[in-house]
Amino acid sequence: MTFTVRPDADAKLRGQVAFATDRGVPGMLWGALVPAPVARGRIRSLDLGPARAIDGVIAIGPADLARLLPGVTGAVERPVFPTDRIQYHSQPLAAVAAPTRQLARRAARAVRVDVEPLPPLEEIEGFDPVHPGPDRPDVIAHVLARHGDLDAAFGSADFVLSETYRTAGVCQVALEPHACIAEIQGDVWHVTTSTQTPFGAREDLASMLGLPEERIVVEGTWVGGGFGGKGAPLVEPYALLLARASGRPVRLALSYREEFQLGRTSLPSVVRIESAVKGGRIAGRRVHWRLDAGASLPGRDFTTGYAIGFILGPYRIPAIEMEGYAFRTNKPPLGPHRAPMAPQCVFAEESHMDHLAARLGVDPVAFRRAHVWKEGDRTHLGQKVGPFGLDRCLERAGALAATWSQDAAPHTGVAVGVGFWSTATGAGGEVRLVLSPTELKIIEGEREIGSGSVIRGIVAVAETVLGISRDRVRVDYHDTRSAPFDSGVFGSRTLAALGQAVQKAALALRDELGKRLSVPAGSVQLAEENGELVAVSGRRRAKIRSLLTATELALGGLTGEGRHYGVSGEIDTARVVEGTFYPYTDFTGAAHVAMVQVDPETGAVRVMRYAAFQDAGKVVDLPTAQGSIEGGVAMGLGTALTEETTWAEDGRMSNAGLLDYRIPTLGEIPPIEVHFEEGFLGAGPFGAKGLGEPPIIPVPATVGNAIFAASGVAMTELPMTPERVARALKLL
Amino acid sequence: MPAFSFVQPSTTDEALAALRQGEPGETVIVAGGTDALFELESRRIPPQRVISLRHLPWRTLSWAGESLRIGSTLPLRTLESDPDLRRRIPGLWQAVRAVGSVALRHRATLGGNLGRSSPASDLVPILLALDGEVDIVGIQGERSLPVDQFVRASRTTALGPGELIRSIAIPEARPSAFLWQRVRPANDISQVGVAVAYSPTRKEWRIAVGGVVPRPVLLPQAERLLSGPSPDAAELRAAAQEASMRVPFSTDRRASEAYRRQLVAILLQRAVRAAGSRPSPSGAP
Amino acid sequence: MTASPARLTVNAAPVDLTPVPVDERLLDTVRWRLGLPGTKEGCRTGECGACTVLIDGRSVLSCLALTHEFAGAAVTTVEGLEGDPAGARVRAAFEAEGALQCGYCTPGFVVALTSLLKERGTEASAEELLEDLGGNLCRCTGYAAIVRAVRRIHGEMP
Repeated sequence: MTFTVRPDADAKLRGQVAFATDRGVPGMLWGALVPAPVARGRIRSLDLGPARAIDGVIAIGPADLARLLPGVTGAVERPVFPTDRIQYHSQPLAAVAAPTRQLARRAARAVRVDVEPLPPLEEIEGFDPVHPGPDRPDVIAHVLARHGDLDAAFGSADFVLSETYRTAGVCQVALEPHACIAEIQGDVWHVTTSTQTPFGAREDLASMLGLPEERIVVEGTWVGGGFGGKGAPLVEPYALLLARASGRPVRLALSYREEFQLGRTSLPSVVRIESAVKGGRIAGRRVHWRLDAGASLPGRDFTTGYAIGFILGPYRIPAIEMEGYAFRTNKPPLGPHRAPMAPQCVFAEESHMDHLAARLGVDPVAFRRAHVWKEGDRTHLGQKVGPFGLDRCLERAGALAATWSQDAAPHTGVAVGVGFWSTATGAGGEVRLVLSPTELKIIEGEREIGSGSVIRGIVAVAETVLGISRDRVRVDYHDTRSAPFDSGVFGSRTLAALGQAVQKAALALRDELGKRLSVPAGSVQLAEENGELVAVSGRRRAKIRSLLTATELALGGLTGEGRHYGVSGEIDTARVVEGTFYPYTDFTGAAHVAMVQVDPETGAVRVMRYAAFQDAGKVVDLPTAQGSIEGGVAMGLGTALTEETTWAEDGRMSNAGLLDYRIPTLGEIPPIEVHFEEGFLGAGPFGAKGLGEPPIIPVPATVGNAIFAASGVAMTELPMTPERVARALKLL
Repeated sequence: MPAFSFVQPSTTDEALAALRQGEPGETVIVAGGTDALFELESRRIPPQRVISLRHLPWRTLSWAGESLRIGSTLPLRTLESDPDLRRRIPGLWQAVRAVGSVALRHRATLGGNLGRSSPASDLVPILLALDGEVDIVGIQGERSLPVDQFVRASRTTALGPGELIRSIAIPEARPSAFLWQRVRPANDISQVGVAVAYSPTRKEWRIAVGGVVPRPVLLPQAERLLSGPSPDAAELRAAAQEASMRVPFSTDRRASEAYRRQLVAILLQRAVRAAGSRPSPSGAP
Repeated sequence: MTASPARLTVNAAPVDLTPVPVDERLLDTVRWRLGLPGTKEGCRTGECGACTVLIDGRSVLSCLALTHEFAGAAVTTVEGLEGDPAGARVRAAFEAEGALQCGYCTPGFVVALTSLLKERGTEASAEELLEDLGGNLCRCTGYAAIVRAVRRIHGEMP
């Protein structure tokens, strides 16, 4: 395998890659949103007059929707603008467009909004979901599953450890704000946008605007970071409606403040975890989880049922109960943030593991290994565990931790934490490969968001199957009009799922070449000769040009199609009491090691060294894989130590900016060792497992455990800021 | 938006002439621009005029024996790059390095920071500990004020409507240190900043603390508990306790009052030790 | 009052400031007036570093700069570093180490590091260079590859 430079590196280093924020078209108007002035309240009146009075300004509100969308037949699930009830602070109530940015801002400020404010619903602690008061938040999701004899486990335990953990909301913070350009082209509503999921965005827009999907075209641009935040449409519906109202192209980009205020992020949660221990083993475990779901719609929250699947840990426990509640509050709706809520759930569960081991006086790594799932075990919901390299990762992490512990200075601690994840290989995708005499084109509908999974990952798959040099492979992105369907970038699926489609398409091409050469398909590889591609099988060599028909040549080459629609495992539904739980597809483990130093007088924590052992199945492209792990660990360090959304009493996010919402800077990131464990094969091409989300999951717990090792204090709240550590140290 | 008029004086006289025109509330003064631009964006009522100080001949730095005079519009990055600053006044060097990022410090200025007078300023405490003097020019003439009398509260100083900060004088180079605590070490606002300096001529310490509402303060009572350039542990503890009791801390979203008290006690002891152990310090804390 | 020279140069080309509104930011001037989108718009509040440009060879946040303030000065954007030896060293090291993912923060890093190399030359240690990059945020790489690139430039790579 060759490790050439990223094909997009040069253009990105020269600033030559056009992101959605960089796009401009002649005659374009600038859009701006009119924010709700309260987090909860009723709209008494909305007067767009003062904005419309400004020369050149277009303004639209809820009253204009019927005029702009004459084809809308049924009521849409979530209206673009609220007509009555304000659900969260800065919720868009109307939108404006003007010839300049300044004018658009001025027009947005000119709109007169009269509201009757109500106290925001924020509190999720202490709320009794069974007997909610008249003015309490709705439960939008409730899940409950049970297995084994929990009463017996707790009744006969040597001891029970019961702990409560609190986690903060965290934001994706892609450096590129959401931005798009919308244009109505005849019957077609066209939007050029920064999206992880062009087809998903088309579907959502169709439902939001009440239009058939074929009248909407989503054209993805290069994405300046996603992390889950660029999935569901955010700016697109407003821009499209403004374009419709004005008859002009409209650019709408969020300010960075709006990024925070409107972003679909993760929100605070509380985890109560109790374990019954007998004879040094976990006999029973019960977890109760409360998640702040913001203004999410009832029945539409996927996070609760998914993330809770990781909350009991990848361990053999005879009796379990897990229950999760998601509450509607007056914060923005929940959204997927890199492994949605898993780092938070795992923070509770993996910190709890170290505290149990300490109570027992045993080595925490050995304690984990005595319980950890291996292939063939059953999960808490009865699913059979597939190839799973976590025990091996733990073994290696434990050995490294022992080495690091030897040179631990005073107030320094070394610890291990684990996490696991399941790649969304169940979500489907298709590609079309076109082999011309000189290159292989991968025609697909998913944009590179940065990880390299598209621009390097799926290219490496084609390279591996066909033996073609990767500089002869070109990724050819198409918009939703002409691209083969793909589910998009989420759930660590790009390489693992879209990569399978590429693998199948490449195999189809190879088969066809084998037929035409009259050789066994598996023996055909591509090579280069005088600038042309040749098919080689043993001594047989033939120019691709010579193997194509005249029609194929005219159409650009030989086409191979690949479709991947995955199947996933099954859970034992008898264990589910209420709600929707999801089976795992792949079993992807990770064990991390952190060395931290805790200032015993100020509580400041410095991460000195870090290592990640990743169960990768098969590494298809090493630089891409390594970059994912390093980036995920750094993001996890932010969740662990500094990142937290804070909310004022009036429901407004009080740290909506990059100064006060603190993502890690270069100086806080320690050297990160990355180790891959191969051989426990996943469902992806050649056995690859998705690596986008797994590396963030164990980080907060691993850092918390290292603080525990360094100082003896158990941290139970994220982020572990200097002040929180100082309080735990009883310095205050 | 009715765009403001933009004035760029290149001499002190031109600057004062510009100040004479218009009402004070209608004017925004831009030094390094790092704060003023933010204000321009967030202001509900746009200003009538912006006066940029960039072209004034005040981007100067001059040592005279033990004293240092810093032009108010000198970029902080130029100040920190002075070959002698780190060695001779390490606390000032540390404080300057604590401000924003390099790209910010290429524009940000000492005058701008003083004029903004943020309670969380990293520069005001060290200027207090160094007995800095603010040199002011104005329509009514020139005057000079100790920094202690100059800063009053956030965005509030002794500067009159027709006045500008021309330079800041540091009377003598002193063994000194500035230590801070933040949630995130870089690109953050300090929860507490502690500046200390020992005056070899007056044979006394100066201790100042930032992160205090309404403004950073000097702590004369704590200073008096320290004898000589290398106070012992008992003296340090006493001074730390005095400081943590004396300072009017408050709770805000960056830190609680209790945590600030703890921090000031710890950072004060560390800063005095760092400054005292280092007559010709290398700088880094 | 100063008759401010009504022009500045951007990437060595003169730009007439007469039609530029006085409240326009340098960021918007280079991106929208001059068609140089390599300077990225991130936070617009001076906290991310994506919009870093050089003014007279020194890194400056163009989102916090009024264009008219820099009349007479020389502005260099990432596009203007094409033939710059320091810029070329930075690009080569970032490319070799794969020190970028989505690329949105990348031009800011290139410009900021180029400024540091111009300003400090070989005098700065790798640690100082790294500390001085603290104002540039990156969310994708975890900075690991960027650190390797800086060390490579500094000749500390094995």
